Amino acid sequence: MSCGELERLFLAGASPEAARRHASGCATCRVVGADLEAAAGMVAGLTGPPLPTSLRTALLEIPRTTVSCEGAEQLLPLAMENEISDADEVRLSNHLARCAACSESAATLSAVRDLAQPVAPPWLAARLAANRPVREKSVWRMLLDPKAAIALAYAAAVVVMLLGFNPADLARRVGASRLGENTRAAVTVAESSLTDRVGAIQENISRTIQVWKGRASGYGRAALTNAVALIWKSSGSKERPPERPRNRDGSGAFREKETTIMTWRA
Amino acid sequence: MSAEEKALVDRCRQGDDDSWREFVDRFGQKVYSVAYHFTLNREDAEELSQEIFLKTFENLHRYDGSFPLVAWLLSLSRNLCIDRYRRRKREKSFRFVSDDAVMPLLKSEDDPAAEALKKERTKLLFWALAEIPEDLAEILVLRDLDGLAYDEIGKALELPDGTVKSRLFRARAEVARRIRERHERRGAAGAFQTLALAAGGVL
Repeated sequence: MSCGELERLFLAGASPEAARRHASGCATCRVVGADLEAAAGMVAGLTGPPLPTSLRTALLEIPRTTVSCEGAEQLLPLAMENEISDADEVRLSNHLARCAACSESAATLSAVRDLAQPVAPPWLAARLAANRPVREKSVWRMLLDPKAAIALAYAAAVVVMLLGFNPADLARRVGASRLGENTRAAVTVAESSLTDRVGAIQENISRTIQVWKGRASGYGRAALTNAVALIWKSSGSKERPPERPRNRDGSGAFREKETTIMTWRA
Repeated sequence: MSAEEKALVDRCRQGDDDSWREFVDRFGQKVYSVAYHFTLNREDAEELSQEIFLKTFENLHRYDGSFPLVAWLLSLSRNLCIDRYRRRKREKSFRFVSDDAVMPLLKSEDDPAAEALKKERTKLLFWALAEIPEDLAEILVLRDLDGLAYDEIGKALELPDGTVKSRLFRARAEVARRIRERHERRGAAGAFQTLALAAGGVL
């Protein structure tokens, strides 16, 4: 085995002399170096065999015996139309025999011709005729048609003009009466708005008073209960202090009126 | 170089006979040599060369000029060569290289003894090539027998130059070691050293 230095020198492109210098001082590389020199000498004396004349002639004939893949693309459509020359047909068939991709392409193209047209089932025509959708036009649908609407509008305008009405006067009259109605409606709305506002303020005040009354009553009753319990305890009585009054159904710590706070929603 | 080669390929694609002749004359010898080194048989090498050129002609539109044409030719034909090489390796006669097989590789010598020595050496070389792994043998053939540059081999085999050089070093070392060991086993320990001295080669 070599120490690896010979290979490193070879990869670095060092001169054969440098390799020999290393091999002379390294016992393991000396054997490898001698082997390498012998192998190089064996190869050095060899020459390539001369190209036979018959082979050269055969190679020169290649363009006349086959076509390239791109040439086959040009010839295939002509072959399908039977417009290809005999020589080109031979070249194309030689190429198709060798080239799997072009052969597959040609086979697929020719298969298109062989495909039969699918025959419709006998019941299809009768079924299509029976299922044909029929749409009936209603009077409303006819009136909603844009053309019909335009025609009706023109007809109405002609009738109004024939009857002697001036559309401009009519519009003015309608506008004046609408103005009065609008003013009255605005005043009414303003009045009702003011009344609602005052009522809302009143109800808000009343609700706040109710809440504070409930809270004061609750705190007072709790303080009174605690005071009674304290006096009872200090007097040394072993009886239980009187219970706080409860609701009629026994639930809750407050009387019924304390829990009913009037709520109001606008 | 590649631009000029691309122009040549384009002319061949357009059906120019003179350009195709130039193409064959420029690369025919190289392709035949590679084919012969992989097959060691004239008929097989001719058949393989024709196959390589047919494949090249059919795929000329794929060449984009990005690397040397000879490397592209080899990359196209590599599988064909390796298939033939494996087929030859499977044959029993592979390890017994005939005189006829190596004769086309030798320059004629005036001295019959020297010619006989060269012939034996070449037969030994091809025996050893069959003994080492394919990926090593392939690079040794392309570099030492066919004279391809490192970058051409790298592009043909899709390997970095460093890997090509590393494999080449290992291939040479393996070939030489196997030949030496064969001689040692046969009790002719000194024969190989004699061959080495006679060769007087370089690393």
